Amino acid sequence: MTTKIVQTKDLHKTYDKNSARPYEALKGINLSVDQGEFVGIMGASGSGKTTLLNILATLDQPTSGSVEIDGQDVTNFSSNQMADFRSKKLGFIFQDFNLLETLTAKENIALPLSLQNTKAALIEPAVKTAATKLAIEDLLDKYPNQLSGGQKQRVAAARALVSNPSIIFGDEPTGALDSTNARELLDTLSGINNQGVSILLVTHDPFSASFCKRILFIKDGQIGDEIESGDKGRNNFYQEILEKLGTFEQ
Amino acid sequence: MLGKISPSGIKARWKDYLVLFSGMIITTAIFYMFEAISTNDQFTTNSPVGESAKFVFIFGSVLLAIITLVYVFYANNFLMSMRKHDYGLFMMLGAKSRVISRLIAMETVVIGLISTIIGLIVGVGFTKILSRFLASQIHMPLTHFSAFYMPAMWTTVIMFLVLFIIAGFLNARTFVKTSALRLLRSSQQSDWKQPKAVSLWVQAILGILLLAGGYYAMYDIKQLKLMAVAIGLVTIVLGTYFVFNSFFVMLLQVIQRSKMNTKGLNSFTLAQLKFRIRDYTKILSVVSLLFALALGAITVGTGFQNMVPKLAQGNGYYSVGITNPSSKMNALVDQIKDKSTITYQQKIDPQTKSVYYRIDQLQKQPIKYSEFVDKATLKAKISTAQVAQYRHNDSGAYQELWGLQAPDAKAFKIKVVSANSFNRITAKTNQLLMVRANNMDAATTTLTKITNLQAKQYGTKNNQLVGGSFATYQLLKGVFGSLEFMGIFLGIAFLAMLASCLMFKILSGAASDKIRFDMLNKIGTRRSVLKRSIWVQILGLFTLPGILGIIDVAFGLQMFSRSGLLIGGAYQTFAITTGGFLILYLIYFAVTVLIYSRIVVPKTKVEK
Ligand SMILES: Nc1ncnc2c1ncn2[C@@H]1O[C@H](COP(=O)(O)OP(=O)(O)OP(=O)(O)O)[C@@H](O)[C@H]1O
Ligand SMILES: [Mg+2]
Repeated sequence: MTTKIVQTKDLHKTYDKNSARPYEALKGINLSVDQGEFVGIMGASGSGKTTLLNILATLDQPTSGSVEIDGQDVTNFSSNQMADFRSKKLGFIFQDFNLLETLTAKENIALPLSLQNTKAALIEPAVKTAATKLAIEDLLDKYPNQLSGGQKQRVAAARALVSNPSIIFGDEPTGALDSTNARELLDTLSGINNQGVSILLVTHDPFSASFCKRILFIKDGQIGDEIESGDKGRNNFYQEILEKLGTFEQ
Repeated sequence: MLGKISPSGIKARWKDYLVLFSGMIITTAIFYMFEAISTNDQFTTNSPVGESAKFVFIFGSVLLAIITLVYVFYANNFLMSMRKHDYGLFMMLGAKSRVISRLIAMETVVIGLISTIIGLIVGVGFTKILSRFLASQIHMPLTHFSAFYMPAMWTTVIMFLVLFIIAGFLNARTFVKTSALRLLRSSQQSDWKQPKAVSLWVQAILGILLLAGGYYAMYDIKQLKLMAVAIGLVTIVLGTYFVFNSFFVMLLQVIQRSKMNTKGLNSFTLAQLKFRIRDYTKILSVVSLLFALALGAITVGTGFQNMVPKLAQGNGYYSVGITNPSSKMNALVDQIKDKSTITYQQKIDPQTKSVYYRIDQLQKQPIKYSEFVDKATLKAKISTAQVAQYRHNDSGAYQELWGLQAPDAKAFKIKVVSANSFNRITAKTNQLLMVRANNMDAATTTLTKITNLQAKQYGTKNNQLVGGSFATYQLLKGVFGSLEFMGIFLGIAFLAMLASCLMFKILSGAASDKIRFDMLNKIGTRRSVLKRSIWVQILGLFTLPGILGIIDVAFGLQMFSRSGLLIGGAYQTFAITTGGFLILYLIYFAVTVLIYSRIVVPKTKVEK
């Protein structure tokens, strides 16, 4: 039996609840992500993707329902517990502005460990390991402005990996990259996933989505459909996504 | 349509605008207050230093105008940092850059106009309060002084309107010249370059040497004379710049290399502070120098003022001498707390041109007199008079007694005779009551009443003629009063303005830091850790120039005390003013931290 990394039960989110015009962005989401899965969440603009991701990533709290990550119910965490949980169990890859320009690549990668007050002696090898996985060992002493766009994203990926998170979240991680660098990052993510790290991506770009193994479609705050890549191969899966989007978004 | 969008942007950021407005209003008010007081002849010509005071005031006025200029520049930058993104967006949406630049120019001028008008009203209020307070502090009557002074109004209005029209013009140009995309992205640019080690070392050593040279020059003022001031100015300005550009950066690098760097957010905090210090080198240097100037002005000003009781009491032991005190005067004397008194009988004989005293009284209750032993430290020796001393009219005892007599007796010689001889002289017997108030500052009000009554009794308008150390005290208070007023006033005005310059400079960077803090929040930084990092960074930016400024003043005071301008106790005043200064400075620091945190720290919205 596989372990569940993420599991939500009847997740609701209402914005501006106490105002005259409350808006229900999530209307009962039930989903689960297994250990080692690469899941994509797709949907039209305004369908609630970011809202869902923020709640899963403990950046926001649901109005009702529950979220369990790596066996822990995070729904009622205090803001400090949420922060600590993020630094220990979650990794993030962002669309834009990934790295702090005033820190070297090494210091950037080490940040999540420093935040957990890991001993200095343990930080060094952990950073090395993450850097090796992403083939950036010789870039560690450089500053972000000395790196190419793709190299920066790999450093960011190393930072997401360094604390051995249970799952990595990404909200449109390729949104700001050109096609070459986008492709490179997606290949990197696939590689990481093949080494057993779970990944959950939010995107409305079919090409990015085609790298996932399973895709959930969300519409008006509810999960409408779901497809799996299986053994179809990435190109066929890409076609299937396009078709699905065609029918789904009507 | 744009006419509606512009105010809506203001509404969304009204708290930031509030800061901008209050900063501008206070600046205008301070500027008006200074103009009202310094250009008002009533104030300057009434002061005993007259012309020289006027010169000092003009000098202060120019300095204030310069710092106001710098201030408006930073406040305007802050305004632009708030608006660039909004207006850039409108341009992306197709608004013409000409329209946008007219809008931003108008916004700048309108903000300037509103803050100037409110500032003037506040300024009149300030002037009223401050002039009254200072007049009571320095016992300087400002009877004809009016807080509302038209010429000062005009100077202020013209000065600020011109500044804002220039600012509006420059802002408009920025929008015409910059593309919409660059405006939108402007908050995300950061040109951090790791400084080269060699250049850091060279600059750090040069900076320290220059500062040391400057401090030494001020210390050695006796030899170098006016050269000390020139050398000090140049070396300290350059040294301060280099020290910020390198020495502090190197210090931070040492900490960065230690294990501390990997604790929590330290690596971010230190790197960010290092970046900021280099990025802000110019403003930090200016702040440090102005801080020194302001602190120095207050210290020297109050230092002079605090010398007054010592100077006065060194010149004479008794505060007042009262001939034939009325019952009213006696009642007043009774009110003085910490005092000693003596009464002698006295007869004036115009024929022999002599004032006679009884030897038995002088022996039984000898007077005390005071003489300076060391002028540099204002150390005075108090001695008890011997009767024989009255034979020489240059003796301390003779001088003391002579000075305390009524004006008509001062024309005659003092003679000491036996009780019998005294009784034989056919003249009215006067009582001479001599009063020493140990704490002149505390007894000032009572002593003033007494001397006023005396002046009436002696039929003179000039309070100086009644004699005693209190007369000297009043004279010196008048002289140093305007100096102190100037010192305190300029000091506070400078501090307020430089601290707000620094505040606006830091806050202007907040927009670009928002993204960084967002990211740090996502990777799991506790809110408290984010806040601590903010206050450490801002504390660094506030304290480093402050510390350097305090050191500057510590050495600068040497120049005053060693050249004999400022005597005794200056460092005590220095400690007190520094304390007061730091409190004011801390308030600005706290406000900056609060506003900054509000802008950059992400909130977790929880609605249940
Ligand atoms: N803080 C908020 N307050 C009020 N309403 C919000 C807030 N955030 C999002 N919404 C609303 O909730 C809905 C879902 O927003 P969400 O950001 O999750 O969409 P999304 O799927 O990520 O869209 P996109 O693909 O454009 O990023 C939208 O209708 C949005 O207007
Ligand atoms: Mg979104």
